[in-house]
Amino acid sequence: MANSNLPRRIIKETQRLLSEPAPGISASPSEENMRYFNVMILGPSQSPYEGGVFKLELFLPEEYPMAAPKVRFLTKIYHPNIDKLGRICLDILKDKWSPALQIRTVLLSIQALLSAPNPDDPLSENIAKHWKTNEAEAVETGELTAFLLALRHKKFPSSHSSLLFANFYS
Amino acid sequence: MDSDEDLLDAYDGDSAEDYYYSGGDSDVDDYIAGGDEDEDDGGDCGYASDDDSTLRSEKVYTVLKVSDIQQRQEESISHVSSVLSISRVAACVLLCHYKWNVSQLHDEWFADEEKVRRTVGLLSRPVVQFPNAKELTCGICFESHPLDQIHSAVCGHPYCTTCWKGYITTSINDGPGCLLLRCPDPSCRASVGQDMILKLASDEDKEKYSRYFVRSYIEDKKKTKWCPAPGCENAVEFELGSNIYDVTCLCSHGFCWNCTEEAHRPVDCGTVSKWILKNSAESENMNWILANSKPCPKCKRPIEKNQGCMHMTCTPPCKFEFCWLCLGAWSDHGERTGGFYACNRYEAAKQEGLYDEAERRREMAKNSLERYTHYYERWASNQTSRQKAIADLHQMQTVHLEKLSDKLKEPESQLKFVIEAWQQIIECRRVLKWTYAYGYYLPEHEHAKKQLFEYLQGEAEAGLERLHQCAEKELLVFLGDDEPQADFKTFRPKLAGLTRVTRSYFENLVRALENGLSDVNTQPACSTSISSKNADGAGKGKGGKGKGSTSRSGRNAARDGDDDDHWNCDRCTYANPDSVSSCQMCHNER
Repeated sequence: MANSNLPRRIIKETQRLLSEPAPGISASPSEENMRYFNVMILGPSQSPYEGGVFKLELFLPEEYPMAAPKVRFLTKIYHPNIDKLGRICLDILKDKWSPALQIRTVLLSIQALLSAPNPDDPLSENIAKHWKTNEAEAVETGELTAFLLALRHKKFPSSHSSLLFANFYS
Repeated sequence: MDSDEDLLDAYDGDSAEDYYYSGGDSDVDDYIAGGDEDEDDGGDCGYASDDDSTLRSEKVYTVLKVSDIQQRQEESISHVSSVLSISRVAACVLLCHYKWNVSQLHDEWFADEEKVRRTVGLLSRPVVQFPNAKELTCGICFESHPLDQIHSAVCGHPYCTTCWKGYITTSINDGPGCLLLRCPDPSCRASVGQDMILKLASDEDKEKYSRYFVRSYIEDKKKTKWCPAPGCENAVEFELGSNIYDVTCLCSHGFCWNCTEEAHRPVDCGTVSKWILKNSAESENMNWILANSKPCPKCKRPIEKNQGCMHMTCTPPCKFEFCWLCLGAWSDHGERTGGFYACNRYEAAKQEGLYDEAERRREMAKNSLERYTHYYERWASNQTSRQKAIADLHQMQTVHLEKLSDKLKEPESQLKFVIEAWQQIIECRRVLKWTYAYGYYLPEHEHAKKQLFEYLQGEAEAGLERLHQCAEKELLVFLGDDEPQADFKTFRPKLAGLTRVTRSYFENLVRALENGLSDVNTQPACSTSISSKNADGAGKGKGGKGKGSTSRSGRNAARDGDDDDHWNCDRCTYANPDSVSSCQMCHNER
């Protein structure tokens, strides 16, 4: 089994993630592969994504912690630094990775990225342009995705939602 | 590499124990191959020392071997560490950051030492301290380790030996960024010094690291570049500001310092890259297809006609049958169109001008392709010839020279004129090769220039052929088993003379072409750079060996010999009647 010779560091990190999770973030390893994590991040309050629940996957490669974990959004999101396939443009996932960082710090950074999009370093050219030229409108679109997500997670009374759904899709 | 060093060894050794009396330029400059010390065998054939050599011996570049680079790095490190009173390790960190620019480093350091220290990551004291701990937790693997297994940079962030090793290995394998390695803690800017890296890295990684270290010295600076020859580890430092970029590395590879393509005087870098692009480009294929094929009228695939009859059948699945001349369906051909093999539809259409456009384009493409092929073939055959000459020179140095010296009972140092001849051949082939690229890009409408160029090039070809022939064929006689020793006394001055004449001709040629053949436009400057020089050579009496010099001195004489009722054209020597003001032959102004 791949899980049998898991480095102590990964075990310790996992234990800590489960016992004292960071606010708004949950990460739990898959049962078949302890290097694969299912992650949920709540849209930060006072951000366009407030109310949304975003699913991500996180994988620790063989070289971890010398190499960065691989993280991807599974939930579609309207964000200048995240593309259609959910890939994230974040320096600490690439050249700024340091072995002294952890799963927790990576996920916190992603959460912070939701609060503060960086349209100057975009992954999705169109969204970034949108963000730069008309932030209010872009934020609205972001809110929209979060809202739709929230609907899916049944955070609103169903009568209300069906009405809004009708509006959005008409 | 071995052979290359042989070549240079032979060079240096020879000039040291020079047999002939020297023309005064015995201070050997290894870095300009063939530039200096071959002017001295004048005794035999009556040449005075050539003033050209002084032009070429101005040293504008230096070849740096790995050991030279290391020595310079060493000097910089010592200098910085003593002037700034810091450790050598810190000096290395600073120099890597400042791209080995010592003066900029000094300026900024003395302006604001704190700022430099901060940006570079040279902390003066630890950020964290654990004075009484017996064990510390590694910030990477989260395990507790006894202090002897914990290391840290100046900042004090503790990591265990294993994690440090992993961190350093990863960073070295990531590339030259490892020279600016920092503490793993993301909020810490402390630099990780060379001492720590060399202590913890594996032997293989240490080697990589020191290679990156040496490379940084060359690649971070503007005036140094690596020699592009495969396998060569030397670098060339160039004095910026000179406009002659040809350099020759110790490995004997000659290249243009500006564009790092092979040496290409007299052609400029832009033309070279155009020419190289052209040689490799698909565009020539397209031209060929355009010139030699027609598209099938039905399926549009290009078809080359390789057999006689005009009745074409396209390959399956198309199978369309058509007439090659008019591209009409074959079924339309018959009695009413004037018979199968006399397609008068074509003639009729041509008269109406229907096919003119397509036909003209094909014709043009064919012409331009032929023109390109003409230049390319000659360019390529000089290239091949040069490769062969390089191989021959090598053979000469490793095998024949010794044999020859045994047979003729003469020391090898006395036979260096043979080597010089071969080196000259190699150089001339290179120049000649590039003159074809030059010719290709010479504007079509500048007839006078083109004529002069072709004349000069023709002379160069002829002169070089004579030298090549002499060095290759006539030398064979002496390598045979018979005893033609008497001939060798005449062979020596002949080959040496040809070498000299060819060299000065090519040097003049290069200069003239680099000036854009400006002689053509301005009459007073006419034949200053080329003719006067050779006329000079001819004036020295016995120098009339090269065709180049004799023919041009003749031309010079013609210029002076304007008679009463006619004048001789400066350019083509045609005797024009006094009544006309421009040459009747070449239209050159009087």
